[in-house]
Amino acid sequence: MNSSWTIKRRAFLAGSAAFSAAIGAGVAPRSAMAQAAPRRGGTLRLSVDQAVAKLNPLLIRVNPEYLVAELLYSGLTRLGTDMTPVPDLAESWTPSPDLTEWTFKLRSGVVFHDGTPCTSADVVASFEAMLDAKTASPARNNIGPIDSVRATGADAVVFKLKSSYADLPVMLAYTNARIIPAAIATGALARLDREAIGTGPFRLVSYEPDRQVVVQRNERYYDRARPYLDRIEIVIYPDPTAEGSALISGATDLMMLTLPTEYARLRQAQGVKVLRTPSGQFCNVNFGCDAAPFNDVRVRQALALCVDRAAMVDFVSEGYGTPGNDSALNSAYTYFVDQPMKKPDVAAARKLLADAGHAQGLKATLIASDRPAVRTQLAVALREMSKPAGFDITVQTMPHATYLDQVWKKGNFYIGFYNMQPTADGIFSLLYTSNATWNETRWNNAAFDKAVFDARATIEPAKRRELYGQAQAMMHRDVPSIIPVFFDLLAAQRSYVQGYNVHPRGAVFRLDYVSLGDGAPRRG
Amino acid sequence: MSLAYALRRCGLMVYTLLVVSIIVFGVTQILPADAAVVLLGENATPEQLAALRDRLGLNDPAWQQYARWLGGVLTGDFGISVRTGQPVLPTILDALSRSLLLALLSIGFMLVIAVPLGIAAATRRGQLGDIAFGIVSYVGVSLPEFVTATLIILLLADTFKLLPATGYVPLGEDFVAGLKHLVLPVVTVSLIMVAHVSRMIRSELVDALHSDYVRAARMKGLPETRVVYGHALRNALLPTITIVALDVGYVLGGIIVVEEIFAIPGIGRQIIIAIQSRDLLMIQAGALTLATTYAVMNFLADLAYAVVDKRIQYE
Repeated sequence: MNSSWTIKRRAFLAGSAAFSAAIGAGVAPRSAMAQAAPRRGGTLRLSVDQAVAKLNPLLIRVNPEYLVAELLYSGLTRLGTDMTPVPDLAESWTPSPDLTEWTFKLRSGVVFHDGTPCTSADVVASFEAMLDAKTASPARNNIGPIDSVRATGADAVVFKLKSSYADLPVMLAYTNARIIPAAIATGALARLDREAIGTGPFRLVSYEPDRQVVVQRNERYYDRARPYLDRIEIVIYPDPTAEGSALISGATDLMMLTLPTEYARLRQAQGVKVLRTPSGQFCNVNFGCDAAPFNDVRVRQALALCVDRAAMVDFVSEGYGTPGNDSALNSAYTYFVDQPMKKPDVAAARKLLADAGHAQGLKATLIASDRPAVRTQLAVALREMSKPAGFDITVQTMPHATYLDQVWKKGNFYIGFYNMQPTADGIFSLLYTSNATWNETRWNNAAFDKAVFDARATIEPAKRRELYGQAQAMMHRDVPSIIPVFFDLLAAQRSYVQGYNVHPRGAVFRLDYVSLGDGAPRRG
Repeated sequence: MSLAYALRRCGLMVYTLLVVSIIVFGVTQILPADAAVVLLGENATPEQLAALRDRLGLNDPAWQQYARWLGGVLTGDFGISVRTGQPVLPTILDALSRSLLLALLSIGFMLVIAVPLGIAAATRRGQLGDIAFGIVSYVGVSLPEFVTATLIILLLADTFKLLPATGYVPLGEDFVAGLKHLVLPVVTVSLIMVAHVSRMIRSELVDALHSDYVRAARMKGLPETRVVYGHALRNALLPTITIVALDVGYVLGGIIVVEEIFAIPGIGRQIIIAIQSRDLLMIQAGALTLATTYAVMNFLADLAYAVVDKRIQYE
């Protein structure tokens, strides 16, 4: 671990602790009491930076949509902050010894918002709709190798898998794996574009895609103690400065995502508490490993040796991040295994480049889409850092839509940006195995595939750690992509908001645990 | 002004809109990137993409797609947005009504300030007040909306906490809160227009005050106020009508930045979102609506000209 980073992080943690202590000092006894027993009732106004364009939980794609779906719908499991599965509609689960069949026992007495009971038939129909190619649900490629789902009685379902898979309970917590009524799942899916019939802690009151979504407490929610809030208003603010101002002026109570540039201003604002959590979200440089010049591992290693990772953290994440080491996992993942941190070494990079037949240097065009802006920042930083070693990189930026159409998954040298996945297998089989959903690097390394595949079929944690450790060492050594920086997730709230934590995965919110303490304004 | 003239202008307007509809459709055809890829995003499989292209009719020849769309538009069916699954027409009309409210309030507020300001400057030409006006209005013309808006938010909302910083509340939902939320955007938009409209009035009025008919009016002994308001101003206001008509169009489509900053879900923002997400039907409907508004405002301005200035004779 880079020592200067550790010091900065410690200093920051100490600073923010002092800050919250100062805020809390005036009302310490009462707020301590409130923490013990969260107060019920009230309206929370929360701001998000993007439209809630999709209401149908099977089709959602961005964080504000995930948030709304989590309020309105339940899944079988939820993702805990430590990336372990937590019961939701499923109370417990057991695998067959070879991990190819999983039985989930369902909570009894759960009802949908329209009053109809939620049974195993609804669960089966929901998963069948998700797995149907016609639905076009992102869940289809992301919830494990499911072959079939069937009900065994009213309160149990069995997942039959195509191959052994230890991570099924975690992956069933996927953002899109939500349970909807069977009647809708089998033929009336379009209804969910405008209404919401789920089993979640809140019910839909109103929905305007580009302005606001309002939900109110579901009196029939299965958890009798929660949610604490009566009502939540999710307001869309397209401009980050305006969104920050709304929080500072008290027009909103909670800001779901904060940019590093706004974070500093919010930190100084009175009555505002900033939130920060390290995450596995990263920006990388993808190589087409099947085409010259990047099919030569030495060229990739040479470029990796040009990167000053600490400087990348400062420049690309504005200091709100952690250095990457070309492995797709960092400490936010359960099976992270630390590798020796790479340091810039121009001489070694030059030598590797010469050995690969590029003694005169290497010209290449690096493509970066314009969203998010960090892609361009990373590209420009890499261009400058790699000059001394003989790389001559031209940075080409383009609109995101054009990038998706022309470069993404096709290009040989471009900047990627990925959210944290719930599991090691999730990120590896999304990006780096030969049969990965988006095999962007075409690395196609059989030994890596085997380690990842074996880990899928292993349930014993120590053995899995060893296998995932091998996989991470291979990425560290062979550099299918350069991963110079992981981002922290930043958010901000009014200090009277209680019980909100930023989840490292970024797509889990748990507003059912949020309550309003002393000093909260009365709204609506 | 004859009825025939009004009808001819109206026919010309319809013809313009037809041409616009072809251009708008053509532009959405040549937008880079496949709409299906952008809409379904990074998880789509080839079968899903093919299914969506089929549903959107993207595989048909362009003229067929155009004919189908135009047929829908003429019968009031603008289709369903692929991005949100909501019908297009109500979404666009909602957005347009918010922008129109902002536009009309801003223009009204602007006129209340700009006209007296322009008159005051013109009648004190060369004096200290006029020079101060010149400097301030130059600054006003030069400052882009996003600077004005951000400064106003920081000053009035962040520092003095007088008004809500941003956000939009429909008047129908909560009238007082709605008005409060409208104050800052209206001030921002008016400030931009006050500068150029008052400068326009000033220069036109200065010209008019040097004309022969004003000299004649003064020589026959009319009081100065009659001369300024009854003779000079009336003529000086003519070009202002055109400017204001064009400003309505500008406020509707051109203040996307203001709509973004104050989080007003207006028509400009709606179109930007539609373009980014390749929501073709929404782009087409939005662009056509804006073009219609422009055309109607121009038409009204032409009619107003003919009414205000009897010397203007149209065939």
